[in-house]
Amino acid sequence: MSAAPAIAATPVPREKGNAFPVTVVCLGILLAWYLAAIPMNWVITGPKIEAAGGGLSNILAFSWNDARPVIPAPHQIAQELWKSVFTFAPWMPKSLIYHGWITLSSTLLGFVLGSLLGVVLAIAIVHVTFLAKSLMPWIIASQTIPILAIAPMVIVVLGSIGFTGLVPKSLISMYLCFFPVTIGMVKGLTSPETTQLDLMRTYHASTSQVLWKLRFPSSVPFLFTSLKVAVAIALTGAIVGELPTGAIAGIGARLLQGSYYGQTVQIWAALFMGSFLAAALVWLVGVAERFTLKRMGVKP
Amino acid sequence: MAGPVISARELSLVFQTADAPVYALSKVNLEVEDGDFVSFIGPSGCGKTTLLRVIADLEQATSGTITVNGMTPQEARLKRAYGYVFQAPALYPWRTVERNVGLPLEIMGLDHAAERIAKNLELVNLKGFEKKYPWQLSGGMQQRVSIARALAFDPKLLLMDEPFGALDEIVRDKLNQQLLELWGRTKKTVVFVTHSIPEAVFLSSKIVVMSPRPGRIIDVIETNLPRNRTLDIRETPEFLKLAHRVREGLKAGHSYED
Repeated sequence: MSAAPAIAATPVPREKGNAFPVTVVCLGILLAWYLAAIPMNWVITGPKIEAAGGGLSNILAFSWNDARPVIPAPHQIAQELWKSVFTFAPWMPKSLIYHGWITLSSTLLGFVLGSLLGVVLAIAIVHVTFLAKSLMPWIIASQTIPILAIAPMVIVVLGSIGFTGLVPKSLISMYLCFFPVTIGMVKGLTSPETTQLDLMRTYHASTSQVLWKLRFPSSVPFLFTSLKVAVAIALTGAIVGELPTGAIAGIGARLLQGSYYGQTVQIWAALFMGSFLAAALVWLVGVAERFTLKRMGVKP
Repeated sequence: MAGPVISARELSLVFQTADAPVYALSKVNLEVEDGDFVSFIGPSGCGKTTLLRVIADLEQATSGTITVNGMTPQEARLKRAYGYVFQAPALYPWRTVERNVGLPLEIMGLDHAAERIAKNLELVNLKGFEKKYPWQLSGGMQQRVSIARALAFDPKLLLMDEPFGALDEIVRDKLNQQLLELWGRTKKTVVFVTHSIPEAVFLSSKIVVMSPRPGRIIDVIETNLPRNRTLDIRETPEFLKLAHRVREGLKAGHSYED
């Protein structure tokens, strides 16, 4: 956007912590956003501004406060977020908490299922050479198919045999998020050094002992890196899963309704809700990672 | 046990590589008796580590025969006949010292784990470090943990692959002394790989001098030094004579063609 060079030119502060640079970048984005909203909304607001007699004050008033703008101003989104989060009871369909929870529940189910599938596949691939050769191409191929193309089929087919709501959406999350876990865990389970493996051999350890006492603990850092990616795309999967069903609840449904009725402010508020959820989920995985690694005695 | 602990006859091992076969071991004959401290010494590439790995069934010979406790190396490994100490400590970083030492006990399902761990940590002078993680220890202490781990299930045979190779001279001297005391107390059979002449002469009851390309044994020296020795013995004429003989053997076996 137009103000980007100004941000880049800001001198890097020498103080500790990152509050200052983060604030500067946020302010830069806000500034760019407000400026860009004027020309972007002109199609809608232009005639109104002219009718009101033009002038800077009218331009600002109309460009940043239209009820159905092309791009809403940040404060409009903030107001909508505030209204839809705090002014309705969380179980009301008008509440974004309600929609967020619907999406979050299928995200979490899909994330758990996908992570388990990912770990199981990785264990199979590491132990059976035949599977490594036969499964891997299919696993990679599965991720080259656009999810938007299969999601409706999955939802419709499952719907026709009686599965609706949470489960089909979770399956789409699972489909997306097992992949990074499999790839990360194959790497992690094969990460022990030769001497660490030789040691197990001198003890005549069984395959499962090698797995649980060596391969699995070695893979933990890889697991958490994969889980951070997986949890974010599980959320994407859940939102995508809500789009083709004409679902009436969930962040995806909110996006869809917003676009049907030209409620751009509502769309953006839902988008922000989705980002907050994703950030919170990734942060939670990070907390779990730090806790686990500390318990495992990793050098701080 | 009657008969030798380790007996190799015409043992050869060839690695097939992309361009040419590598003769890692060529017609090796060797006997190790119960209670011996045998060192394999030689330059890099002489097959000393390979020979130790064949004894441990981590590599398989291509021809010849070898027995460990009268069995094939594989049978001996399956019966957990030996403890192995690697060049690197190879500790598991997510386990504390005591849980590292207890690892073989967990795997083998042995009783009295706590007592065995305590006894062996005391043997390597690491009492009080039970709850530490490997990264909190120095290199020498880590290697002592790995020795305690190899001794934890009380194997009669201890195979050590340049265990002190990565340590500085001062720490190495101290550990050599401790290892010798440990050998005297436990009466174990030790096979020890090294490329240090003083270390080999100081520790061993028998020194096997090896030479590279192809890896073969060129001299076997019985040291006959007293079993209770201190580092001072390295100044004695007997010690220097032995060291000289080892050095001459290494020189004779050295190939100048490469």
